[in-house]
Amino acid sequence: MGIALEETDTGNLVRLDGAVDIACAAELKAALVQALDAGRPVGASVEAVTYLDVTAVQLLWAAERKSRQAGTEFGIAGAVPAALLTALAEAGFAALPGLAEAGLDFEAG
Amino acid sequence: MGAMVSSTGNADQFKQSFREEAREILVDLEAALLELNENREDQELVGRVFRALHTIKGSGAMFGFEGLAVFTHNLENAFDEVRNGRLEVGSELVDLTLSALDQIRAMLEEREGAAETEACAGILAKVRKLTGIAEKPRQTAKAAGTQAGIASGGLVRQWAIHFAPGPEFLLNGSNPLLLFAELRQMGGLSVRADMEMVPPLEEIDPERCYVTWEMVLATAVDRDAIHDVFIFVEDSCELRIDPIAGPESATAALHDATARALEEPRATSGGRRGYDKPDMATSLRVPAVKLDQFVDLVGELVTVQARLAELSARRDDPEVAAVAEEIERLTSALRENSMNIRMLPIRATFEKFRRLVHDLARDLGKDVELTMDGADTELDKTVIDQLSDPLMHLIRNSMDHGIEPPEIRRVRGKRTTAKLHLSARHSGASVLIAVEDDGGGIDAERVRQRAVERELVGAEAQLSEAETFALLFQPGFSTAAEVTDVSGRGVGMDVVRQRVESLRGTIDVESRPGLGTRVTLRLPLTLAIIDGLLVSVEEACFVLPLASTLECIELSARDIEQANGKHVANVRGEIVPYIRLREHFHIREPRPELEQIMVVESGEGRFGFVVDQVLGNCQTVIKSLGRVYRHVQAVSGATILGDGRVALILDPERLVQDALRAQARNQGSRASPHAAQVRARTVSQAVRL
Repeated sequence: MGIALEETDTGNLVRLDGAVDIACAAELKAALVQALDAGRPVGASVEAVTYLDVTAVQLLWAAERKSRQAGTEFGIAGAVPAALLTALAEAGFAALPGLAEAGLDFEAG
Repeated sequence: MGAMVSSTGNADQFKQSFREEAREILVDLEAALLELNENREDQELVGRVFRALHTIKGSGAMFGFEGLAVFTHNLENAFDEVRNGRLEVGSELVDLTLSALDQIRAMLEEREGAAETEACAGILAKVRKLTGIAEKPRQTAKAAGTQAGIASGGLVRQWAIHFAPGPEFLLNGSNPLLLFAELRQMGGLSVRADMEMVPPLEEIDPERCYVTWEMVLATAVDRDAIHDVFIFVEDSCELRIDPIAGPESATAALHDATARALEEPRATSGGRRGYDKPDMATSLRVPAVKLDQFVDLVGELVTVQARLAELSARRDDPEVAAVAEEIERLTSALRENSMNIRMLPIRATFEKFRRLVHDLARDLGKDVELTMDGADTELDKTVIDQLSDPLMHLIRNSMDHGIEPPEIRRVRGKRTTAKLHLSARHSGASVLIAVEDDGGGIDAERVRQRAVERELVGAEAQLSEAETFALLFQPGFSTAAEVTDVSGRGVGMDVVRQRVESLRGTIDVESRPGLGTRVTLRLPLTLAIIDGLLVSVEEACFVLPLASTLECIELSARDIEQANGKHVANVRGEIVPYIRLREHFHIREPRPELEQIMVVESGEGRFGFVVDQVLGNCQTVIKSLGRVYRHVQAVSGATILGDGRVALILDPERLVQDALRAQARNQGSRASPHAAQVRARTVSQAVRL
């Protein structure tokens, strides 16, 4: 598992890796807050995610809502593993927060 | 999103929580099995057993007890056969399942050594032989999991499930996905996560679950089976399971259920946001040791409060007095609450003896019906914890020596099925717990002879029946012709006596030859803090338990004269004997002109205790006198008063018995107003006919 905040030319990228669960929820929150505070577009990369628990989903959801209120962009960057989408659907989540904005172009800076 | 089990350090705590829940289920399962043994056609009991096994299996797997889950799965299969009418309930199945429960208990403790593994394999082999089916793989198909709670030919119906985890839900390691997966095994499930309660990003407690779920489940299982899926998390969540009327499609029903949920008023008044609503859990588990520490602290607080009250009385300052009174009121409420928290019904203790009686009856070749009364009677947890052993010995003794074999009962014209009855009831500040059988009764003469043989009494000793029965509780005393696996070594009754004495209780034995025996344990309701009445004789202070005191009246020199020097008082026409504490405790100073009689209710009727002064009510933290004084039975402990002095806490029951015994010895029974009682009841160890 791992959470990294990267600044790119186009915005801030929160890169999630492996199992993202309650053990790293505080870290994820800090990364999202910091990423959004810069006022730049924010992307979350879940390509390498194997597990995503409810704490992570609600943080991403709150981040997406905050960016919407602030008028900044927030979206999922890169591909989303199909298994992740299936698991989200089974848990009753309509979609991955920010997925509507998927396709934002974030390149590692 | 795969498994969401927390990788934090809560795993052990979580496992422990599962163990505690599972132990409770096992107690219920054991009771259901024993009931099923008596009512083998009862489908409801079959369902109860099946559901319990199903729950242990499912939850065991969820919490990492994989071996336990596999083992239980095989038992579940057997009861599935029973539900489907392919297997009949018989003694063999019940006994096998009971043995299996013992193994499950061992697995819960993770004591899975070679012997346990072998025992498990042996049980499973027998189960498979009985059912005639090979081991079914666990959860081979969705259908396998849908068995729980499905009545034969049951109709599919829809259930709206509202599931709102509490703040601690995720911290406990609970995983909503696994719950949903289990629900899916029961039928078609639609799930909708509601994010309404998620606060702004900065305000989120990252380890707390704010999401709630609305679900619709189309299934043939009943509500109990659905509820069982949540059994291990229900303390930390809000859960509603409602049937959905009408033939709506699952999607429509989900829509409706969701709409209904959204229409419900949220806790938004007064500026309070929805996501701040308090924890919905209605109960929580607290380790017993924390509870003990809490009560100890309350005890210390009560002592300090007494000092404050004393100080306030001396200062004569209205402001200090007002604060002291308020502290006294709060302390009293806190004490009462803390005591209530410790009160538990005795049911769980009683229920576990069903298994003992079942096993002993089988081993002894006796037919015994166990009945219970007053299982909801509550008493202090510490007392309950200490009760198991004495009750077990009494039951073993009763079944081995009291209850006759069926052939003898038949000859004696009795039902071949013997009765063993456990009962509990409150009596003042005490609780009475009785073990009663309809066996052969105690042969008093045989007890006496054995006592003479063991030189416990002289051959010429004249013993009342009650005094004779008291001998049964002497160390190493046994009248059994032979020692069996069950009893006869003369250890059990001594354990009963020691344990009951350590709880400041007494034992009463009643026995009628040929008809049966009843042993009653009289135990205090609580061992920590009591409401007392503080009295004094010269400089000495004593506390009488308030619960046993009835009234206070004056005793003048004229009253004493009118009674011709006898220790009796006329209380509104009723003659009440009294004990003068000054004499009882050999306080030599002359008595005052006017004394006070505290009238108490004892097992021997109304008695008075004569003191110099009644100082008032007090909350009394009971401190043990220590082992040196453990034989001083009329004093149940001591307490520290607000001014630092020590007051002895008196046991009115024991004082009365001591006094009656002394009176009988010194004056002969004829001189006593309670002559009949003295003859019948005054015995050592408070054993009473």
